[in-house]
Amino acid sequence: MNALAIVGPGATPLVERLAPRLDGTVATVEPLPETASRDVSATASYGLSEDGSWIGAGEDRTLTDLLDSLSARYDYALVADYSRTRLPTVTVGDAETAGDVVYAVDDADAADVDALLDIVDAVDPYVTLDSLVARAKSSPRADRAGAIATFTGRVRARDAEDDSRTVRLEFEKYEGVAEEKMDAISRELEARDGVQKVLMYHRTGVIEDGEDIVFVVVLAGHRAEAFRTVEDGIDRLKDEVPIFKKETTVDEEFWVHDRA
Amino acid sequence: MDWKLFADLAETAGGREVSVDVEPDATVGDALDALLSAYPELEDRVLDESGSLRDHINVLRNGENVHNAAGLETTLEAGDELALFPPVSGG
Repeated sequence: MNALAIVGPGATPLVERLAPRLDGTVATVEPLPETASRDVSATASYGLSEDGSWIGAGEDRTLTDLLDSLSARYDYALVADYSRTRLPTVTVGDAETAGDVVYAVDDADAADVDALLDIVDAVDPYVTLDSLVARAKSSPRADRAGAIATFTGRVRARDAEDDSRTVRLEFEKYEGVAEEKMDAISRELEARDGVQKVLMYHRTGVIEDGEDIVFVVVLAGHRAEAFRTVEDGIDRLKDEVPIFKKETTVDEEFWVHDRA
Repeated sequence: MDWKLFADLAETAGGREVSVDVEPDATVGDALDALLSAYPELEDRVLDESGSLRDHINVLRNGENVHNAAGLETTLEAGDELALFPPVSGG
């Protein structure tokens, strides 16, 4: 899923202009002016029609939770007026954002929609374990596969009781070469008997404690080759792919290779 | 010739992409010498006491480790991209 945030005056109408021009399934997320909390006892309520259309309302969801749940199902997500997200972001006027600014315009009406369509197609995709599993299942070789094994690497806050707590990791990668290396490892693993598809993805930038860092997904005929291959996949990724990790704990900041 | 630097090497040099001048037909080793002359603060990090490349420092030419070619003797071609980095630590 390619996700783009738009912040500033006129963000919501701009999302609505962009959505119908995209080629694929699109989810839009717009801010609510007030709480959507309802006086009911269920945590979430859905209405589902026989034609597949639905409405939903619920409690306790963050933008990250929502994007994670959309990632396997939609080609695009357009998010209006959430400035705290680290998504690639279009700014209108003086709006500020925590994300990378990919396009800035003074007035939403003057935004070049054709340019924005190219930008949303070019952003780094929003990848989750679910979106990789969905891609593996849609492989043309999936009918030969009875097993999916996955590995998720995440930020560990502490390794022992008296460890100083890790607050965040920051990853830097050798753009282009890292992807080529991951592709090469995946192709080599796919050449094994019974292995139908191997997908891997490593996030970069700042990743906070508890968040996911890296995923490896293996689609295979049977569980034995699925388990073996997912282990070899993450081991080779960690040994061979040019990605570098800086760790920030409550006490200090250091490059992890200096402590290995 | 352009070098890409990563992690603490980029921090030490104060930049992620740096250019150095080398003669035509220069080798990767010549480009490394030119880099270390321009950024002497990198030397301790990259070379050991005998002046050889430290074992854990990686030198890539166009995405391939030069160990797989002629090492630092590998001849450069116009437009090559060189990269220098410490041990990888993804995941």
